[in-house]
Amino acid sequence: MKRKLIAAVGVAGMMVGVAACGNGDDDKAKADAGPKEITVWVMDGSAPKAWIDEVNKEFSAKHPGVTVKVEEQKWTGIQEKVTTALSENNPPDVLELGNTQTAGYAVTGGLADLTKDRAALGADAWQKSMLASAEVDGKLYSAPWYAANRVVVYDKKAFAKAGVTPPTTRDEWIAGLEKLKAADPATQPIYLPGQSWYVLAGLIWDEGGDLAVKDGSKWKGGLGTPQAGAAMEFYKKLQSYSTAPKDKDEANPQQSTDIVPKGGVASWIGLGWEAGGAEKALKEAGKEADFGYFPIPGKTADKTSTVFLGGSNLAVAERSKNKELAKEWLALAAGKDQMTKYAAETKGALLPNQAAANFTPAAGSFAEAMGKAGVNGKITPVTAGWANVETEPNPIKEFMTKVLKGEDAAKAGAEADAEIAKRINK
Amino acid sequence: MTVHSQGAVTSAPQDAPPKSAGLPETPAPATGTGPTPPRGGGKPLPTGWLPYLLVAPAVLALATLLLYPLIKNVILSLQDINKVEFIQRKYPFAGLANYTELLGDSTFWTVVVRSFAFTLANVALIMALGSLIGILLNKLGKKMRLVLSMALVMAWAMPIVASVQVFHWLFDEQFGVMNWVMRTAGFSGYEQHNWMETGLSTMVIITILVVWGSIPFVALNMYAGLTTVGAELYEAARMDGANGWQTFWKIVFPNLKPFFLITTFLEVIWVFKAFTQVYAMNKGGPDRASEILPVFAYVEGQSQAHYGLAAAISVLTIVILVVVMSFYFRLILKQEEEQ
Amino acid sequence: MSTTTAPEPAAPQRPAQQLRTRRPLRPGAVAKNLGALLLALVFVFPVYWMFSSALKPADQMLTKDPVFVFTPTMDNFGKATGVENFWTYVTNSVLVTVGAVLLALLVALAASFAIARMRFRGRKGLVLTVMMAQMAPWEVMVIAMYMIARDAEMLNSLPLLTAIYFVMILPFTIWTLRGFIAAVPVTLEEAAQIDGCTRGQAFRKVIFPLLAPGLMSTSLFGFITAWNEFAMVLILNKDKTAQTLPLWLTEFMSAFGNDWGATMAASSLFALPVLLIFIFLQRKAVGGMTSGAVKG
Repeated sequence: MKRKLIAAVGVAGMMVGVAACGNGDDDKAKADAGPKEITVWVMDGSAPKAWIDEVNKEFSAKHPGVTVKVEEQKWTGIQEKVTTALSENNPPDVLELGNTQTAGYAVTGGLADLTKDRAALGADAWQKSMLASAEVDGKLYSAPWYAANRVVVYDKKAFAKAGVTPPTTRDEWIAGLEKLKAADPATQPIYLPGQSWYVLAGLIWDEGGDLAVKDGSKWKGGLGTPQAGAAMEFYKKLQSYSTAPKDKDEANPQQSTDIVPKGGVASWIGLGWEAGGAEKALKEAGKEADFGYFPIPGKTADKTSTVFLGGSNLAVAERSKNKELAKEWLALAAGKDQMTKYAAETKGALLPNQAAANFTPAAGSFAEAMGKAGVNGKITPVTAGWANVETEPNPIKEFMTKVLKGEDAAKAGAEADAEIAKRINK
Repeated sequence: MTVHSQGAVTSAPQDAPPKSAGLPETPAPATGTGPTPPRGGGKPLPTGWLPYLLVAPAVLALATLLLYPLIKNVILSLQDINKVEFIQRKYPFAGLANYTELLGDSTFWTVVVRSFAFTLANVALIMALGSLIGILLNKLGKKMRLVLSMALVMAWAMPIVASVQVFHWLFDEQFGVMNWVMRTAGFSGYEQHNWMETGLSTMVIITILVVWGSIPFVALNMYAGLTTVGAELYEAARMDGANGWQTFWKIVFPNLKPFFLITTFLEVIWVFKAFTQVYAMNKGGPDRASEILPVFAYVEGQSQAHYGLAAAISVLTIVILVVVMSFYFRLILKQEEEQ
Repeated sequence: MSTTTAPEPAAPQRPAQQLRTRRPLRPGAVAKNLGALLLALVFVFPVYWMFSSALKPADQMLTKDPVFVFTPTMDNFGKATGVENFWTYVTNSVLVTVGAVLLALLVALAASFAIARMRFRGRKGLVLTVMMAQMAPWEVMVIAMYMIARDAEMLNSLPLLTAIYFVMILPFTIWTLRGFIAAVPVTLEEAAQIDGCTRGQAFRKVIFPLLAPGLMSTSLFGFITAWNEFAMVLILNKDKTAQTLPLWLTEFMSAFGNDWGATMAASSLFALPVLLIFIFLQRKAVGGMTSGAVKG
């Protein structure tokens, strides 16, 4: 009998639980009422907290009663997330989009047309090179925010120990890596994972090739070309000095915070926020960072390697319920005053959208090297379909891994080109 | 029902009625009763509005949250929905275009074949090893049985999302303990072995994960079932001079046939749509070589933003599953008619 | 469930193995026990390794040869729980999971009683439906579900998530409970009715207590399914205040990358409730049924 009793009590408890739980759920539902709020999505590493707090403070001072909710997003899986978000009735009001992805969203109608707001946003002051990725067919869909490109980050001590100085040509670079390898077998001369495709893009451009080219009205991939093959050959040579996995990119594991701080890396290719992150992680581990920087060397000493000009734009969602507020926030954040502070806050490691806001980098800083390299900057093909190419599984990455594992570059390139053509022309 | 065979019943009642699955020391010395008529033996119970009232909430819930999405899914599969249409919420009718595209795509058929091979290999391993361990449990002494069944319960209870992370860590290229195990065992080439180098090797790791997580369900239920096969039956078989193998086929198997049927059915379903393990392990990579049907649908739909096409894949997945399982449905229906 | 034969009379007088335990050790027995021990190690190792890695200090974590002996630290747990909104995720997960399981038990109890004990039109169809519903590939239906929720303005809603999980576990719960109810001899119920109980009383007083193990084991299944689910919540609830623990755990990998200590600590925290519930319910859920039925 006792057993029955226990069971009965238990069940009675469950019933009460059901009722209690139902109530609990209801309370949660009324989250979005209350005073006005705009939501801003920024990417991981884009917006220094001190800076964005100040932007919001200024904004709230102008618009009493309006609060700004900043949500930091991860790059992994962001396209899926933005796509669904733009289809919703309550999308984020302002969102950061990678410059290679903006055109892809502009054509969906999910972004607000900002052409009429050019003046209010201060578009005349923007860098022409950065504006290109923010426009489609002469219409403005976003405000350029920042640009950045990669340079080689090196450990001064390791270089000094091996007697290596920053190279200016590819040959010098390889010779230096050889010396580093001989000087300390426990250290990898360069950390370069197999799928760092932005690095490869620069090498392909150096050879005169491209990731994709327009062929009549259609686009076609450019990985099966001899130029891409030559670029991949050099990449493979570089990669042979690294013990990094051949089937991973630089973000997984995160090279700046997971790999470099553990030591044993003499040099690596990264962005400004990555160098900063590595410095911070080293400090937390009780070590001191002693980084030097140089542009990726070109074939000859008179021209550094072409680099991918990464960057982000800020857009307003078409379905935003607070479009006007969102545009005002955009004008403020992308305006000269805040951009000047932004450049200073990032110590020039992120290039602001207008020349007037530029930060003069200190000698020997990341920003200085980046400025030198950025002269030879280039972006991925500007077409709406390009964003489809970048989504995982990314055919460029698969191509790289295959070639690094010994497959023929022309054959793997042709396969990748077929996939690129399929995606880019959609 | 996203999961592998975790957390299911400790024992399905008719299969293995009374005994404990995991903790055999629980006393269950039921003194004999006469064979109880199972069910349906009594007079027909009253009908009328009551049964309809009782099943109404369940039917209503299934209709709104399962049937409706399914119908919506079928509709989606007949529309041409990509990123633009999805964001603009305009869904042009596409007829059977998505289906013809799929059926003419060799990638789709590769994935179908891979799904079947994956399911077959996993279910075979799970059923064979699970049964063997169940038999072993039955032959062990008390203490050892407790040890083994506790270990099984641990593996059984691990949430999939957590166990995928753990397997990632075990098979990590740089610091994973499996590389150390291989080195310690004297194999060379495991300094920095990449366990997920190819599609096949990734599938092998996933299989280990799935089999590891699913065996406990089969083994513990098998053991519970075995305890219901009376000792006198074994004795009789032994006196007839049957060996272990014969005993299994003549005594154990017929007695536990329902158990094997049901468990295989559940495992086939669970493995065939094992999304979490496969996707979380390597996102269907490298180079899309470890995609099975649900993962294929997810990658096409979510990552590539071909929503209509993905819906078509999922409809085909359901159709395939229903066809494969129709054998079981017939068994169940036959059983229903007999009552 | 009813592909099965009639339940065995519940009387395993003396399980075969008990006859053997007192025999002296033979090589076969040694091999058997060694094999069992090895198997136990294989099954428990990943779980052990998870907890052990979670407690390991950072400097002993990423080593070529694993460190087995170390002074445990709680640092990793601090890092794992220090994430913004952690307690919101915990609350949400518990609410959604417990809500879905209780709802499923309640609804399934009614339905499975009707299916197991009553005759009505459409019963066979219902049984078939429940079986088919088991096979629903939810992960590939997320887009359809998302579009429905979006158009109904029900994104970021915990009640909707609870309802979806409830329907995910409902078919299995009905299927299993129906088996448990069917296994209770009708004669017991009839006896109660002869004693003057109404149908409802007979159910409450006779059948229900015998179902306790069934209820517990099905709630185990439901709990783990709802606790684990992440494809649906990933797409439906973008608002961090409406997210659950599986998202926290999967995001951990990208946020902390190679920080295996923190990832394992997060995994341990996520697995611990389920492990405890399993060990606890396993004890309670077993063995009760027949002894209850027979002894009253």
